[in-house]
Amino acid sequence: MYAGERQGDIVALISRALSAARQGGAGMRIARRMLGMLLIAAVIVRAISVSATENYPLSFWASQVANGLVLGGVYALVALGYTLVYGILLMINFAHGEVMMIGGVAGFFGLQIASALGLLSGSPLEVVVGLLLVLAFGMGIAALTGVTLERVAYRPLRNAPRLVPLISAIGASLFLQYSVLLIFGVRPMVYQRPSLIADGMRIGAVFIPYTGLIIFLTSLMLMGALFVIVQRTRLGRAMRAVAADKDAAALMGVDVNQIIAFTFLLGSALAGAAGVMLGFHNAVIKFNSGFIPGLKAFTAAVLGGIGNIPGAMVGALVLGLAESLGPSALGIPAEYRDIIAFSVLVLVLIFRPAGLLGEAVVEKRA
Amino acid sequence: MRPLPHLPTRLVAFSAACVLLAACAVPTAAPQPPAPAEPTQPAPQQPTAAPAQPAAAPTPEPGKVVIPPGGKIRIGGSFALTGPIPDPGKDIRQGAEIAIDDANAAGGVNGFLFELVAEDGACSGDQGTVVGNKFAADPTIVAVTGGTCSGETFGLKPILQRARIPFVSPSATNPAITSADCDVCNRVALSDALQGEVDAEFVYKELGLRKVAVMHDSSDYGKGVAEIFRDAFIKLGGEVTAFEGAKVGDTDFRAILTRIATAEPELLFFGGYSTEAALITQQMKEIAGLQNTKFLGTDGAYTQQYLDTAGSAAEGAFMSYVAGDTQADKLAAFREKYIAKFGIEPEKLGPFHAQSYDSVLLIVEAIKKVAQLDAAGNLVIDREALIKAIRETKDLAGITGTLTCNPIGECGAGGVQVFTVENGQFKQVYGFGLKR
Repeated sequence: MYAGERQGDIVALISRALSAARQGGAGMRIARRMLGMLLIAAVIVRAISVSATENYPLSFWASQVANGLVLGGVYALVALGYTLVYGILLMINFAHGEVMMIGGVAGFFGLQIASALGLLSGSPLEVVVGLLLVLAFGMGIAALTGVTLERVAYRPLRNAPRLVPLISAIGASLFLQYSVLLIFGVRPMVYQRPSLIADGMRIGAVFIPYTGLIIFLTSLMLMGALFVIVQRTRLGRAMRAVAADKDAAALMGVDVNQIIAFTFLLGSALAGAAGVMLGFHNAVIKFNSGFIPGLKAFTAAVLGGIGNIPGAMVGALVLGLAESLGPSALGIPAEYRDIIAFSVLVLVLIFRPAGLLGEAVVEKRA
Repeated sequence: MRPLPHLPTRLVAFSAACVLLAACAVPTAAPQPPAPAEPTQPAPQQPTAAPAQPAAAPTPEPGKVVIPPGGKIRIGGSFALTGPIPDPGKDIRQGAEIAIDDANAAGGVNGFLFELVAEDGACSGDQGTVVGNKFAADPTIVAVTGGTCSGETFGLKPILQRARIPFVSPSATNPAITSADCDVCNRVALSDALQGEVDAEFVYKELGLRKVAVMHDSSDYGKGVAEIFRDAFIKLGGEVTAFEGAKVGDTDFRAILTRIATAEPELLFFGGYSTEAALITQQMKEIAGLQNTKFLGTDGAYTQQYLDTAGSAAEGAFMSYVAGDTQADKLAAFREKYIAKFGIEPEKLGPFHAQSYDSVLLIVEAIKKVAQLDAAGNLVIDREALIKAIRETKDLAGITGTLTCNPIGECGAGGVQVFTVENGQFKQVYGFGLKR
């Protein structure tokens, strides 16, 4: 096929540019930048030629953008937890995806209770209140899990070498997964959507499920709330102070332990919200439901520049869109979705090691 | 200026690379096991050479299983107890346990009783390899029932072949599970070669549809049956608008479905397991262009779990199943014992309990034929003789019909059935044994 020949050219160009990059110095930066441009150009050319041959209607792209934004919204909520914790502790909380899963499991039981109380079959107002209670329950349990995790698995290791808490986090992740497996079994828990949010809205030929819309809007609202907390409150100021310099903040009278616990609480509550909403959107939650979304959210956080709050949101939306649009735009099978996601990560790390928006923060720390 | 990216960046790049590698790994390539840990088996390739082997160690004799008086005849079982279809896996395990109970109630073999050694094959090739190595390293394992899933059984196959342990799978349907070069490989379930073809006929002739999309879950089982359906449907003269793969464990299929919808197929075929099938059925209702598209799933999703997960979205969906030639009286007796022992109706968990019973029955009957008492009162089972005896099974009356193994190890009876979902229940509409 025609794509094969062009690939040959691109490979030759890349290898030439790479050998130039190895010469080092300022030339390397230029070569790297050129290589980046070249890759972007190749992707654009491929996307144009594919869309010309496939001839998808506009509504198709609109639907895929909607899918991508919903996905991105979920990733963003989880990614914020990674980034908040990294910003303060310079540590990657690999158990964060599991915190999201526990939020989803708690939400499932909240949903059972709410429907047993008849909250989900009454008037629309009652249903909305019921759903908010389910969401709050999921967020609460997730926040509790996150704070406990910090207290038990991370705080004792705060002054240990940096790899130690990382390993503790991986252990915590497995512990949480298999605890849920042993307690609740392998059978997936199935969220039954109340009829109020079971349908969706149609804009022309584009169908947007209400759950997707709710996920996107709720993520925006929660991210807004997070922004206000971090930038406009005393606690937020203390968080930023601890992030900038733990010891100095302590000397200024900030209770560092409390602030770190609060950070875990915020991040975990957001992840819990993501877990509950994902449960409503995709219907099933089980013990390993947090693993892949957690990995993707981590990718999103790194993509945007880990430690950077707006970066996590941007990274998550970029990742969500890349996943939903990528296979169709590049004319490759949909099963390569994850490969696209992680290729984007690898490429961003090569060309912008600090992430899309991460320059300022990371430079300062390095 | 940093000469090197600092630690987390490199760590991230490394973990991303790991995931990429894992994602690229071709699932069909059954991982080769490390050196088999069974030095006591010189693996005589020629069945006739077995008695001529010099007895290097007094016990156990090479090529033979020697069970001292009071010992049990141990039959291994690889069941998908975790993984994507835990309920059917449990059902199959419990069906096997009933068969073991029945064999023991009938007196076992020369007073020796049977024992089921159940392991979790997790419906995956990796775990199948682990279970296979465990059985191969255990000289007391006589034969194996399982695995539940095709991928899992592909993991077991080369290891058991080398260890000369015969297996009978109750439910692995990929055509390549049995082959002319594998004398230990047998199954009671029918091959997907049949299922894919009958499904294509059903869609083309019975429903009269000409334009279908095909999806699978990239498992050995799902992809295998999807390919057979696709080829059979094209051969009949139909059009396949898309052939797309998702992954076992995916929960959001909207991006793939949106793409499939652009060609406006009349039916979506999915080769895969319950949860994914149920989520696809649900999410199809959300995709413009697929709202009136019919759905056809395969035996991996012919479960209560599918109905529970998909809920009202399942109404009108089709599901095919590789049914046995069920003997109503035998099934009734089996169900009575099953319900008494486990307190649940087998159909609530999965479809393959009767095949599982018959798999064990086949093994038990073959052992009865070849087991001999030696002078010291030990029960001696010659592995090569057992492999042959299983393959030579003829006219064995099981729950799923009269079982006769053909030369490559296809022992099942029955045919493919197609069901539709009506009021939250499966109702047969086409295929084997349907009375109109």
